[in-house]
Amino acid sequence: MKKMDIKIHVNGDWYELAVNSGDRLVDVLRDQLDLTGTKEGCGEGECGACTVNLDGKAVLSCLILAVQVDGCTILTIEGLQRGSELHPLQKAFTSESAIQCGYCTPGMIMSANALIYNEPEPDEDTIRKNLSNNLCRCTGYDRPVKAVLKAAKDMKGDTNV
Amino acid sequence: MKKGKLRVNERRKTMSVYFQIEEYHRPRDLAQAVDILSGFGNRARVIAGGTDILPRRAGVKKIDNINHLVDISRLGLDYLKREGDHIFMGAGTTINTIGASPLFLSGPYGALSDAAGAHSTSTIRNRATVGGNLCNASPCADLALPLLVLDAILVAAGPEGKRHIPIENFFKGVNYTALNNEEVLVEIRIPLCSEKTGSSFLKLRRHQTAIDMAVVNVATSLNCRENRCEAAGIALGSVAPVPFRAKKAESMLAGAKLSKGIIEKAAVAAAGEARPIDDVRSTSAYRKKMIAVLVRRSLESSMRRCGQ
Repeated sequence: MKKMDIKIHVNGDWYELAVNSGDRLVDVLRDQLDLTGTKEGCGEGECGACTVNLDGKAVLSCLILAVQVDGCTILTIEGLQRGSELHPLQKAFTSESAIQCGYCTPGMIMSANALIYNEPEPDEDTIRKNLSNNLCRCTGYDRPVKAVLKAAKDMKGDTNV
Repeated sequence: MKKGKLRVNERRKTMSVYFQIEEYHRPRDLAQAVDILSGFGNRARVIAGGTDILPRRAGVKKIDNINHLVDISRLGLDYLKREGDHIFMGAGTTINTIGASPLFLSGPYGALSDAAGAHSTSTIRNRATVGGNLCNASPCADLALPLLVLDAILVAAGPEGKRHIPIENFFKGVNYTALNNEEVLVEIRIPLCSEKTGSSFLKLRRHQTAIDMAVVNVATSLNCRENRCEAAGIALGSVAPVPFRAKKAESMLAGAKLSKGIIEKAAVAAAGEARPIDDVRSTSAYRKKMIAVLVRRSLESSMRRCGQ
């Protein structure tokens, strides 16, 4: 398998990496950059656990080759935090008890982050539709929906992607 | 600039076989893309969003021997414009771009907007392209159906230049199209419809979760003048090896005065033209019944959209 050099902007820093042509973005994030907050669930685009933000949009990092994002800006769950303070979405997911096992949570939060970036005041219906991107098998959706509503209110349009 | 850590451990070695590919090519223009495709024959495949090809190639489900991927996602093929008597859509336009476009909100093209909204999840639609949806040639391809009733023309680029393929002649079988190995689908042209046209798309899924593929999906279009139908289009998905037009049902509507009765009759006729199979999603018998229901509802919706 041929190696390729790519340059990607992840969570505020540029990285120069040599990747295999077949490496997916999720492989590179987790194995080369040690950003294991991004989870791999099904690996075929159904569960949403691997959701990251790519140039301001929520995408599935298991369905993108790393070589395809050469030159692009990526935000993962690790990049949300502002200094030592948690991001409003992270705070809301905690305070609303929207986490149980937590495996789907990074994907849900990154999906919600792109939503709020593109639509600063989403209504509940929009949030529910958006969270259908992410499969959760233990917490359910009511609390995550509440958490996103709360975070959107707290953020007042102050977003980063 | 940070240098990425390169941890070559055992786990990484096993991870990297997840998706095996000899080489990824990023051509600088269309001519080079066609060149590379010509050089590798059936060992090369075009990639744009990658949302079909990656899961198809993943792990144990590896189903083909493609070793070269030719990325066309940076060749400027993502555009939507209305010019002269056509709407021009680049093959690399993402499905979310189509869903959000004001071009398809009005009656004649409503089916396209419906289908874009019903296709998978928004995270996939941010990457998945209309060209990929067509070239993957799944029997249940959502965008194929509105484009069938809108009589879209597909433009393919190959070594001998460009050629036009009416969408009706494009689908040849499951995952098999009229494109040659060295050809790239570059554009979809939609002829402008009369304002008196309405179209709609409906999709039935098992659990109404966003990700599931269709049990059946249909698109219809009606061109009416004072309740008289001048032309009708009915396209059926997931009920044959390829998405197709139900011509007999269409001809029952053309020239007829539209009523509940005739719409019901045409819907039943459309179900008669379907040749569904039993599979994990549904039985053949249920699919046939649902085709009649969906076609009827879609025709009613298209009728309401006429002249909107």
